[in-house]
Amino acid sequence: MRIDGCSDIEDPAPLAQQAAWQDVEPIAQDDGPSPICPIAYTDEYREMMGYLRAVMAAGEESARALALSGRVIQANPGHYTAWVYRKRLVEALASDIGAELDWVSALSAKHPKNYQLWHHREALVERLWPARAALALPEDQRLANPVLRRELQFVGSALDEDAKNFHAWSYRQWLVARYELWAQELAFVDTMISQDVRNNSAWNQRYFAVLRGRPATTQLDAALARAEVAYAVEHIQFAPNNDSPWAYVVGLLLRHAPAALHEELLPRIRALAADPGFAPAMSSTPFYWSALVDIHEQQARALPPAERAPLLDEARAICDRLATQVDITHNRYWRFRKTAVGA
Amino acid sequence: MAAELAINAHARYFKHCLTMLPAETTSLDATRMTIAQLCLVGLATLGRLEDTLPEKRRAEMVEWIYAQQIPNGRGGYGGFRGGSLFGPHDRCEYEPANSGNLAATYSALCSLLLLGDDLSRVDKQAVVGAIRSLQQESGTFAPHPGTTERDPRFIYCACAISTILGDWSGVDKDAATRYIVGCCNYDGGLTQMPFQESHGGHLYCCIAGLSLMGRLDALPSRQRTLQWALFRQSGGYQGRANKAPDVCYSFWVGASIEILGGHDLVDSSAVVHFIQQCESTIGGLSKWPGYLPDPLHAALGIVGFSFHRPEQFPHISPELLLPASVVDRLQTLEIRRR
Repeated sequence: MRIDGCSDIEDPAPLAQQAAWQDVEPIAQDDGPSPICPIAYTDEYREMMGYLRAVMAAGEESARALALSGRVIQANPGHYTAWVYRKRLVEALASDIGAELDWVSALSAKHPKNYQLWHHREALVERLWPARAALALPEDQRLANPVLRRELQFVGSALDEDAKNFHAWSYRQWLVARYELWAQELAFVDTMISQDVRNNSAWNQRYFAVLRGRPATTQLDAALARAEVAYAVEHIQFAPNNDSPWAYVVGLLLRHAPAALHEELLPRIRALAADPGFAPAMSSTPFYWSALVDIHEQQARALPPAERAPLLDEARAICDRLATQVDITHNRYWRFRKTAVGA
Repeated sequence: MAAELAINAHARYFKHCLTMLPAETTSLDATRMTIAQLCLVGLATLGRLEDTLPEKRRAEMVEWIYAQQIPNGRGGYGGFRGGSLFGPHDRCEYEPANSGNLAATYSALCSLLLLGDDLSRVDKQAVVGAIRSLQQESGTFAPHPGTTERDPRFIYCACAISTILGDWSGVDKDAATRYIVGCCNYDGGLTQMPFQESHGGHLYCCIAGLSLMGRLDALPSRQRTLQWALFRQSGGYQGRANKAPDVCYSFWVGASIEILGGHDLVDSSAVVHFIQQCESTIGGLSKWPGYLPDPLHAALGIVGFSFHRPEQFPHISPELLLPASVVDRLQTLEIRRR
């Protein structure tokens, strides 16, 4: 298997026939007697592993070992020992990190869901431009730095390929948090949400971008809460039966601005539900009614116990509606939820 | 009652995988121990383990697994390797050949138990010591030295290993619990690290980890987490909101719901129906209907199915991914008293 851009594939001849490897005695695979799940390797992989074992056993740190580790990883990106070996080689050989990042980029095109390559990349970037040095500069200068520009572009391309790639989003969060690139993140999130309003990863990233690493107990100011409500409702309007904006706005407010649930969110979604153009869609989506249950429970919490009954009764009535009409799939849950209202 | 799953075909499929995997699965070379575990738990759930694997074969498999245990004093890590790709220990003393990891150790212990072994040859001190050395200050765990990977998958492995061996001295439960609580997301779901997207696989690792540690009460809102998990059901279970259902979440999300006490709140027939749609005509199950099967989706689909057919299938512990009969036998193991 060849990957374009991986320049270590120069000579496709078997290693045993290559002059550069004549001095090495490969170590054959020995699974022992009666192995479990043995793999019918290709001859090529089997040979590469024989030579890799040999150079690892000798503790060799060389360009040819680096190239070989790359070939093995391409064939088996889950080979965690080869990754550890490669990382050490890159350091020991003082390899050009930019070239190594190119190699990782080419690999990720074929293996976007592999965990190890993202972590390998993380370590490389940190070495190339340590965060401590980066944070001495203002954000706009950090963003102009070629290392970070390249990384943002790389993760952006990965998300172009698969807008929900969990590892890519995870890497992006590492990059943005480590190098404190907060100011540009909301705009990126907005672009991703515009491309697909149902992309839950993008909505999750919005939470990340708004909170900026602050703890779950943080209280957001009223203006910010109002702005996020407006943003969420605008997107709910576009497609009411969409889990993501509902989960986002209810979750955000429950944690960080609970009063805004009934002061800001409730009137807006009620208005939308009363609008003839949106009423059918709103009244038939479980997310609208589920949000009302959450909102009424929160409203009740803010009142003295003696005054809670009407809101809790309303919440229970909505659970009935969900169980019997709007969200029959989860009817058992809604019956259970009804008993837990106000608990 | 007619069989609802093609038990014979799936048993043959697992036997096939245990015997030989095709070249296309080369990327599993370092995780064969986990593939073995999945095939064995799949067979055990189908009630076909002893039929499919005669005693002699089971004994040979036990030997192969123990051959992956890193000898005392070797390398920087105690426990088991993920496979035999580096050959027997008596012929390789260099560090990479002796590199194990937490997931392989967890899979090895489960596989040994499923094969009827009593774990008497497990180097308990080394395993527990390795766990201790891999826990990070934040409370999470790395899988092995030399990587920045560290997430709830390995917290789970550490907790499962500690439960099996009856020794928690390698786990700072307070720190691990704190980390998991930090992974509770705005939507009630759980994830890999604070702020990342709620994900069914990490949900399982966090919930099962908490349960094994006896710390489920640390969840800020059990009800919201249960709600998140239940709302992943649209026919089958999806792993994240607005994604297609995938049969492996029949276990990751399904087992989490069992642990959280939500078994009666699931639309059982819809889950069963989806899992059946994922059965492959060549045996095994695929992530989506009509795709090619693989051992992970086969095993987890079958275990997920078993939660809804308790009269037909043995009870599988949602926390340990082991038959209840095996979990019960843990109490009798001498290694736990060492």
